[in-house]
Amino acid sequence: MVALARKTLVYEWRRFLPAILAVGFAGLLQLLQAALVLGIFSSASVYITGSSADLWVGYPGTQSVSLGRPIDPDVEMRLRMDPAVAHVEPFYWVDADWRGAHDTGGESVYVTGIDTRADGLMFSRTLPPALRARLAEPDAVIVDRADVDKLGVKVGDTAVINGRRVRVVGESSGLRALGGVNVVTSLDTARQLDNDPTDLGRPTYLVARLRDPAQADAVAARLRGDKGFGPYDVWTARTFARRSVLYWMLDTGAGAGVVFLAGIVFLVGAVITSQTLMAAVAGSVREYATLNALGVGVGNLRWVVLEQAFWVGAIGLLGATLLGVLLLVAARSQDVPVVLNIPITLLCVALAMALAAVSGLVAMRSLRRADPASLLR
Amino acid sequence: MSRPAPVTASRPSGHALRAEGIAKAFVSGKVRTQVLDDLSLTIDAGELTLISGPSGCGKSTLLAILSGLQKVDAGRVIALGSELGELDSRALERFRLLHTGFVFQGFNLFPALSGLEQVELPLHYLGLSGRQARERAAQSLDEVGMTPRMHLRPSELSGGEKQRVAIARALAKRPELLFADEPTSALDAANGQTIIDILHRIARTHGTTVLCVSHDPRLIRHADRVLSMEDGRILSDQRPAPPAATPEGTAP
Ligand SMILES: Nc1ncnc2c1ncn2[C@@H]1O[C@H](COP(=O)(O)OP(=O)(O)OP(=O)(O)O)[C@@H](O)[C@H]1O
Ligand SMILES: [Mg+2]
Repeated sequence: MVALARKTLVYEWRRFLPAILAVGFAGLLQLLQAALVLGIFSSASVYITGSSADLWVGYPGTQSVSLGRPIDPDVEMRLRMDPAVAHVEPFYWVDADWRGAHDTGGESVYVTGIDTRADGLMFSRTLPPALRARLAEPDAVIVDRADVDKLGVKVGDTAVINGRRVRVVGESSGLRALGGVNVVTSLDTARQLDNDPTDLGRPTYLVARLRDPAQADAVAARLRGDKGFGPYDVWTARTFARRSVLYWMLDTGAGAGVVFLAGIVFLVGAVITSQTLMAAVAGSVREYATLNALGVGVGNLRWVVLEQAFWVGAIGLLGATLLGVLLLVAARSQDVPVVLNIPITLLCVALAMALAAVSGLVAMRSLRRADPASLLR
Repeated sequence: MSRPAPVTASRPSGHALRAEGIAKAFVSGKVRTQVLDDLSLTIDAGELTLISGPSGCGKSTLLAILSGLQKVDAGRVIALGSELGELDSRALERFRLLHTGFVFQGFNLFPALSGLEQVELPLHYLGLSGRQARERAAQSLDEVGMTPRMHLRPSELSGGEKQRVAIARALAKRPELLFADEPTSALDAANGQTIIDILHRIARTHGTTVLCVSHDPRLIRHADRVLSMEDGRILSDQRPAPPAATPEGTAP
């Protein structure tokens, strides 16, 4: 088979370049905005994704980790009774007020109290063991590298949280919070810092590791049913993480923004691509008409146009991928929060190919001018 | 003025094309141009028939109608035994694919394809395998003397060479009917002569019915039959004396 579509694309690449660039940039924009939004909002679930707990137990209806309310500590007993549960520990969340050493004014912080033992679940993926061990000392706190300037402290400095003096014993990385600043402490310190009398020293969450993480869904369903304690609910880590991210995306309107922007990018890309393809078809309209005169069906000619659109899409995406990888690497190195996962990447690829396909379908209309009778004049 | 089918005792092969009382008018705005008016004719198989006449008299329109590229307002066209008016556009495409070749004034070659690929392209749609198509294309190009230059793109070919590729493209399908509209008008004398010789040879050796529209007086010498048109009618129908000798002999 003579690859008419492909050969024309190679030979007249200058003519197709705008379409290739349009598809490429549309794909790249979709990808980057998805990566950015995911990056920013995935910090809403950093408490979950940075820890190795399989189950999260919290107040019923909690939409995001940051919105937890204290639960009955006796639920821990209930969890321990279940044979599937290997390890349980409490997790404290305290909204607090920070005052730095050099009077930088008040800063609202999220104090997270974790079990500091070496086999603790909380932040097991984000805090190196040595750093974690330093929290054991009373009134020790760890702040994130990204927040050091905002808080106006460095390691060794003291600060005041909710009126109590604390000491910064280390810097974490990758614990940047959404809409606040994370301060990590031990369970005891967190309890000390909590000055809300209604909390009564009760934990905000209980987190559990299972003997078989694959059973998480079933165990969560089983534990959820018990009404013998105060109100609580059980989620798998995955569900709770997704819920937290979604909550922030919807709450801030970022989700709608992403969809809106994606729509605009798609539209602009499709307009440029279809116009370019149409011009390319129009430039060969006499040749197409000749083929039709010789009996090559209009359907076959349309297919050639669609194939051309496909190649334009494929080449554009290839360029976008190369450029995208470079940009993402650059962003990472600058601490810009970017996150990409396979479903989102595939979605962006599908969108770009759909853009090319739609443009091809639109460009097919130019074939109507390929009337073989017009060649006889 | 229309005539009944002329007596063609010299060629027993029968009619390849028959038009009966065809009429065609174009309406643009309020102006209606009657291009063809109650025209009847028959074209014999295996002959090179030339249609000549002043500009605008309807030659190209007649060709478009006889080849099934345009519909008639009245009358009917029977090509190779099928009435074209009864075929829908799909069937017409199929008919053209199987039976007709075209050579246009412009060469209409894809800039990106080599001569060989230009000729191969339609053959694939005919259902030939890649190898068959390639062989046939090479053979057709050989017939028009383009073998040495068959891997070049149109931008590297002269006008005459391009027209020869276009003829090979039409020829490779082995059509029974070959329509040519002013195939030499964009070419100089020598190149025009080459094209004329090729068309003549096609009619002779393949028994192809060649219907050619041309102003070119040189073509008249080579034609089996010359139809003169004026104002949408056929004025005269002549069979010029055959040139001294026909070296290839008679058609199969
Ligand atoms: N699609 C069309 N719409 C309107 N008028 C047309 C159309 N096609 C042809 N005509 C008119 O029909 C007449 C005959 O056209 P045609 O192309 O058949 O002439 P021709 O004999 O081939 O002339 P030439 O020798 O200049 O090529 C012309 O007057 C032309 O303006
Ligand atoms: Mg004409």
